[in-house]
Amino acid sequence: MLRRLREDKSIQGTFLITPTLVFMVGLLIIPLILTTIVSFGHRSADGGVIYAFSFDNYLRLIGYSTQCDNGASVCFDPLYAQIMWRSFSLAFNTTVLVILLAYPLAYFIARAHPIRRNTFLFLVLIPLWTNFVIRVYAWMMLLRKEGVINIVFGWIAGMLHIPFTPLEMLYTPGAVLVGMVYEFLPFMILPIYTSLEKIDNSLYEAAADLGANPFRTFLRVTLPLSMPGVVAGTILVFIPVMGTFIVSDLLGGRQVILVGNLIQRQFLDARDPTFGSAASLILMVLTLIVTYFYTRKFGFGEEIVV
Amino acid sequence: MKKSVVWKLLALMALASMLVTACSGGAKPAATEAPASKKVTSTGYECPEPNPRVQVTSKELNLFVWTEYIPPDVQECFELVYGIKVNRDEYSANEEMYAKLSAGGTSYDLVQPTDYIVSLMVRQGLLQKLDKSKLTVMGNFDPNYLNLSFDPGNEYTIPYQAGTDAIVYNADKVKDPPKSWSDLWKPEYAGKMVFLDDSRATIGMVLLTLGYDVNTKDPAQLDQAKAKLKELVPGIKLFDSDSPKTALIAGDVDLGMTWTGEAFLAQQENPAITYVYPTEGAILWQDNYAIPKDAPHLDAAYAWLNYTMQGDLFWMMLRDFPYTNPNKAALDFAKTNHKDLYDAYMNSPITNTPAEDIKNGHRIDDVGDALPLYDQIWTEIKGGQ
Repeated sequence: MLRRLREDKSIQGTFLITPTLVFMVGLLIIPLILTTIVSFGHRSADGGVIYAFSFDNYLRLIGYSTQCDNGASVCFDPLYAQIMWRSFSLAFNTTVLVILLAYPLAYFIARAHPIRRNTFLFLVLIPLWTNFVIRVYAWMMLLRKEGVINIVFGWIAGMLHIPFTPLEMLYTPGAVLVGMVYEFLPFMILPIYTSLEKIDNSLYEAAADLGANPFRTFLRVTLPLSMPGVVAGTILVFIPVMGTFIVSDLLGGRQVILVGNLIQRQFLDARDPTFGSAASLILMVLTLIVTYFYTRKFGFGEEIVV
Repeated sequence: MKKSVVWKLLALMALASMLVTACSGGAKPAATEAPASKKVTSTGYECPEPNPRVQVTSKELNLFVWTEYIPPDVQECFELVYGIKVNRDEYSANEEMYAKLSAGGTSYDLVQPTDYIVSLMVRQGLLQKLDKSKLTVMGNFDPNYLNLSFDPGNEYTIPYQAGTDAIVYNADKVKDPPKSWSDLWKPEYAGKMVFLDDSRATIGMVLLTLGYDVNTKDPAQLDQAKAKLKELVPGIKLFDSDSPKTALIAGDVDLGMTWTGEAFLAQQENPAITYVYPTEGAILWQDNYAIPKDAPHLDAAYAWLNYTMQGDLFWMMLRDFPYTNPNKAALDFAKTNHKDLYDAYMNSPITNTPAEDIKNGHRIDDVGDALPLYDQIWTEIKGGQ
């Protein structure tokens, strides 16, 4: 038995993937199947699941409505589409801003002296030592009406004898965006850094020899070769942002509902697990579609992944 | 080569986090050292004797209770006096507790459901009837908090703490204070308000301004409430059911809707913060103890109820969690032994709700089939453009 294990590569392989396989089947595949089954059922009066095969939950999600203001029997209600769209645009804006901020920083670190490089990477990682939620609370301290930023501004304005009314920053959409960008920045810096750092210096020299100015070198050499990092970073940022709601709840004052809130509410306050299941499946499918088209256009960031 | 640097960093982070866990895990207070005659908690509180002491064979008790709702001294006294290990899980919303219990497979001995979820849990068969012959504390309660609509005859629950949802404002900032729920629609308050992130309480408040029942199932009435709530929402700066007092104390909002304990604590921070019972009536609520159907340590559960609800232990609620206290014995004990706490409690209209405001109040109840309508309104007012 042991000898076969030592010699047979395919048995070794089976042996090695078993833990992961058990994990994936038990905690991903089976729950996903259960979610799908529940999503076709409907809610009992007390919030249980009545198993059935109906598309009602999906129809409701795409805006099919039988409660219409204008007296028609069927109409289009864009409510859930709007919530999806809001989550999507927040994720999109966050990702774009994160790329714009992360790229120059990653470039700077990659081109820094190797000794300092480690220090810089270390500094990028340090915030991750603190819990996610605690870092959001720290932003609340900064952005409050009587918070750090307003106190400092008031102090400067006082010295310059300019009248100053405290800025309303906390509980605004801007605060949500700032918090999101802050939380997800490291996940973009690291992959971009890795791909930038791999670029062979001789390529820059070759570009210079062939008469390319620094701007052209960047466009034709650096940028294309670092795209795998950008793609990997985008996937790491965009997908979690689509489903997250803690940042928008805490910094946005829960004024808006995102897809994450919508799903959570169905399992708790609304006690409608069937609609919640349908909504989470739709979110998953939409995210997969976006990722699929994105990676088809830009590749999967293979050089990073493998 | 550079890749190895990233790995080293990751390893360093893992090591650091392990060190932190190791340190926090090592510092367990040694509570078993107390002499057999006198049981003293780690804060130096001398535990009263259970009266009567009951026979308990279980060695453990599993609590599933609200976060920040049981004084540490109380739990420690119970552990010392009975030699039972208390395992405490916590929740911050009734729905969370309900979801976990109805999924099954839990082994909790006591839960703390709020009124509206009790009837639902009873219907679903999640709770067991209390054996009154084992409860020696029934006489401690103010009858006003017993035999309520959600559990007639207290077959399944005994009261823990009670309170209200009403209007709060900062008198330094709000010159013309609101007197009714409908005053909150005044344009001068726009952008300065906090409301509970609780669909039933907030929609219930709107229903009251329209003269309807807080538990209506009538879609037409709910439609009107939705339209009225839509006018209010742009003026709401923040929805918060975790700690609405924080934004009030920090000055981010000046008025809004909050509950007893939050208002009391906010007032201690800033005396200008005032609590008003609106003319349409406040929303009343009550948290209770109940025993889940398959509780594995029944004897310990009854011992806990009898001991921790004793007046000479439950008075600590006045000190640690100042809500409306249905426990007369605890109030009497505080009156003679902790006069300052008792006076603060009795003199504050926040904790000691005036009788006419209780009479004028409304209680949220489960609405069954109509719940998705409430959720739909909530999603629409926060999800629409």
